[in-house]
Amino acid sequence: MNWRIIGTLVSKDLSLFFRKKGILALTILGLVFYLIIYFVMPGTVNENLEIGVYAPGLPPVLQHLPEEGLEISIVDSEDVLKERVSDGTYIVGMSLPSDFIEMLNAGQKPDIHLYFTADAPEEIKIAMETLVNDFAYMLTGQALTVEVSEEVLGQDLLGTPIPPRDRLRPLLAIFIIFMEILGLANLITEEVERRTAQALLVTPATVIDMFTAKSIAGIGLAFVQAVLFMAIVGGMNINPVIILVVLFIGAALATGLSFLISSLAKDFMSVLAWSVPVLVVLIVPSLGVMIPGAITGWVKVIPSYYLVDTVYRVANYGSGWGDVWTSLLILLGYTLVIVGIGILVLRRKLQ
Amino acid sequence: MTDYAIVAEDLTYYYGDLTAVDHINFQVAEGEILGFLGPNGAGKTTTVNMLTGQMKPKGGRAVLMGMDVAKNIERVQGNIGVCFETTNLYEQMTAIENLNLFARLFGVKPFDASEFLSRVGLEGRGKDKVDTYSKGMKQRLMVARSLVNKPRILFLDEPTAGLDPTSSEAIREVILKEKERGATVFLTTHDMMEADKLSDRVAFMNQGKIVALDTPLNLKRQYGKRALKVKVSTESGALEDREIDLDTPDTPAKVQELFAREQVVTVHSEEATLEDIFINITGRGLTG
Repeated sequence: MNWRIIGTLVSKDLSLFFRKKGILALTILGLVFYLIIYFVMPGTVNENLEIGVYAPGLPPVLQHLPEEGLEISIVDSEDVLKERVSDGTYIVGMSLPSDFIEMLNAGQKPDIHLYFTADAPEEIKIAMETLVNDFAYMLTGQALTVEVSEEVLGQDLLGTPIPPRDRLRPLLAIFIIFMEILGLANLITEEVERRTAQALLVTPATVIDMFTAKSIAGIGLAFVQAVLFMAIVGGMNINPVIILVVLFIGAALATGLSFLISSLAKDFMSVLAWSVPVLVVLIVPSLGVMIPGAITGWVKVIPSYYLVDTVYRVANYGSGWGDVWTSLLILLGYTLVIVGIGILVLRRKLQ
Repeated sequence: MTDYAIVAEDLTYYYGDLTAVDHINFQVAEGEILGFLGPNGAGKTTTVNMLTGQMKPKGGRAVLMGMDVAKNIERVQGNIGVCFETTNLYEQMTAIENLNLFARLFGVKPFDASEFLSRVGLEGRGKDKVDTYSKGMKQRLMVARSLVNKPRILFLDEPTAGLDPTSSEAIREVILKEKERGATVFLTTHDMMEADKLSDRVAFMNQGKIVALDTPLNLKRQYGKRALKVKVSTESGALEDREIDLDTPDTPAKVQELFAREQVVTVHSEEATLEDIFINITGRGLTG
């Protein structure tokens, strides 16, 4: 490996990249567009709690409970209640048994079921206890001893509500990284199809020099943009080193995918045709962050899951190395395999 | 061994069952121009690819400047220049940027791109993007690019194919200047006139084998037929053609008889072209 030659090739690749007006415009506008999307999304969580209650046989007095910030809606069945909690209509659902008052009068403990959305804040539990006590006091004139069972529908992230824009942050960051697949794959495809790679390979530059240069250029472009984005949107405020590491591995993954795509493609259109399905698959895991419960465990086979998961947990919940090291390791493993295969197939095409 | 710039020893390459280059052997002396001729599919490009380290031989070896190409690829490639048949320049860059890029890859310092541009008649166009160039200008720039490291061996693949006479002549002048400088030139071409005019020796390649290798003159002597082409005027005033073979024992008598009996208008000597000789040897044309 000759670093003087690699430096020359990197400089050439970056120069060519920035001369492609379409790709350059896509890159800059993309970054601006993602920032706009981020900042127009709500930056806070709605503090009013909308609670669904299923209470057969009880008067509509529940609707007039004097709790500030609570909006209570009565539903017709427990199934409807669970469905609306699952789809996010209510952040909490409360189900009272039909013989609630009779049991109270008989001195028995009625069972009250509470349903929470996956990411309902911890404060809601406290609010619900207050609500139940107020409710009991209103009905009987004394505090009640009731059995309350709680069930979290989905992953338990109680106590940490995330504003929509911060939910979107990992999605936008990986979008920025993976959009570079398109630019780099196009650059490599042109190099092969126009036979400029052949001209380089009859100079002292070797195939390894070429791949190293392309990797540096590709990782650099994707990494710098993603870091810039994360810095602007405050994604680097907590554990910035982990964020830098995961974005770097993500950029390397994008570079490996570019190698694979450019080994299959012959021109810009075929680069586009191969890149779009790859991008769609890579973005799927971020939907799980945007819409909790929207995806199932199979997304863990998609390498970008570990990128999104790490960015999301570190930037939004302050997770540390101990929490994310397995995700980082799996992501690194995927990246090494994909980059390795990419180099092998592209090398075959070059030779 | 080191007196030769290029040595091919039993060089062989095959694609699956097809033998593209079949155990060929030849040497090219330092400072010599070798014309490498043959029809499409004869194995010329595969041979050049093996000599320049782009392909690893399946058998035999290529030795350039005393170094086995497969074992010293970077040193070999640092001392050769290759001009491809198909244009492969960075078209979004200017001519100067293209030359500077390759000079940096070869580690040439200091480097003055304008000197190389003027050698191929492109002075004043160095700051233009290559995609604004005509085919002839691009080909001249390709030749200039192959010279940036002042190569000891220059490989030129069809350098004048499809070019206008001015561009072709500019490239021929560069080739002769390179010979004067002491470079060895390996010239692959379909243009028989060009090969005849420029080459010290020519090699004919057919079906993966070298079927003849000698100076153009010796090949013509060995395989060609020399003749006198004569136009005579008849009694009615019409012109008729006569041909006298120059290499027979009774040639002098026939010439004497022709001038004595007929009214000779024009006389031209004719010798075989390299194309004729190739057909004579292989039974097929060079463009086939």
